[in-house]
Amino acid sequence: MSEPPPLSDAEREELVAYLDGELDEEAARAVAARINVDPRVRAEAEALRGTWDLLDYLPRPEPSPSFTHRTLQRVSALRLTQPARRPWRVWQIAAGWAAAVVLATLVGFGGMEAFLARQPTDEDLIRDLRIIENKRLYEPVDDIDFLRKLAQPELFGDDSPGS
Amino acid sequence: MESIGKTSTQLALRDPDVRLMHRVRNDEPGAFEELVTRYQHRLIAVMHHLVGDAEEAEDLAQEVFLRVYRARKKYHARSRFSTWLFTIANNLALNSLRNRQRKPVVPLEVRDSGPLGPRPAEQLARDRADQPAQCIQQQELAALVRQALDGLNERQRMAVILNKFEDMNYAEIAEVMGLSTKAVKSLLSRARTNLRNALAGYVHMDSQPVPKAPVDEDK
Repeated sequence: MSEPPPLSDAEREELVAYLDGELDEEAARAVAARINVDPRVRAEAEALRGTWDLLDYLPRPEPSPSFTHRTLQRVSALRLTQPARRPWRVWQIAAGWAAAVVLATLVGFGGMEAFLARQPTDEDLIRDLRIIENKRLYEPVDDIDFLRKLAQPELFGDDSPGS
Repeated sequence: MESIGKTSTQLALRDPDVRLMHRVRNDEPGAFEELVTRYQHRLIAVMHHLVGDAEEAEDLAQEVFLRVYRARKKYHARSRFSTWLFTIANNLALNSLRNRQRKPVVPLEVRDSGPLGPRPAEQLARDRADQPAQCIQQQELAALVRQALDGLNERQRMAVILNKFEDMNYAEIAEVMGLSTKAVKSLLSRARTNLRNALAGYVHMDSQPVPKAPVDEDK
């Protein structure tokens, strides 16, 4: 006759939960019934319960007499290193943030004004219209003195192109 | 927001420790000392079971109280006070145990003294297997139980300690450890199976010995 298979993980979980009183009424009744009819499950339950009870042999240490005093001393030291935040300090921080926002707004506004001031007006465009129209011709010329020299007829002699 | 406030008020009415923590939050003189006095035994016991060293357990418990003090102004009761306290303790203790694993230290076991000489506990267990559990001295049995507990991984150990010594149900353990209730059920099942395998030889059983259950390391 072959040995019955060991309890599965799920069966064992149910058994442990039963011993811990964690199952609902119906599930608890089912496990209790299995314990009653299956000696293998009953022995397993007894072993689990017995080894659980052995944990009571572990000593329960008491705090040393100075524990409370030492802990409170450390808390006192903590109070000294972390002074309470005063109300005026909170206002100081809020005022700092407000000042930063105002400053950023002013800088942004001034920058935009300067940028717009650099844009040419209609009057500027009318005054420079001839230059704009002949921009293609002026581009190869390095400076205005050269243009003025070109305007002097003695540089090219008396011959006119048509003669 | 209103519902949180309502929950907090209901909990404060039910749980005297929540009321005490509110007094700590309001910096009432003597309130924090009362909190330390009220919880130090439980906290140190849990830490001691977890790390196995009295001095380290006190250091960790002290650090938990300091964290509670630092966080007092942000405290809002959403569950029992002890659940919040042990959540802090769980985080701190698990970090400490992980750091210890990264920097292993030589355990200060008393191996060369006592009537047993320098034999490891496994040898002791084998030697005493045929004797009734009652004959084993209480201290020796405590050492074996300690060793079995140390054999669990830190999450299993924490779940066992909260369940056994703090009488927490699965839902409370789940909240403390940041797990689902189903995960706690599974964790405790594996932990108790491992404990059973390590300690079954020391339990007096009338029925036939059961075959060894498969060991789940959960690591």
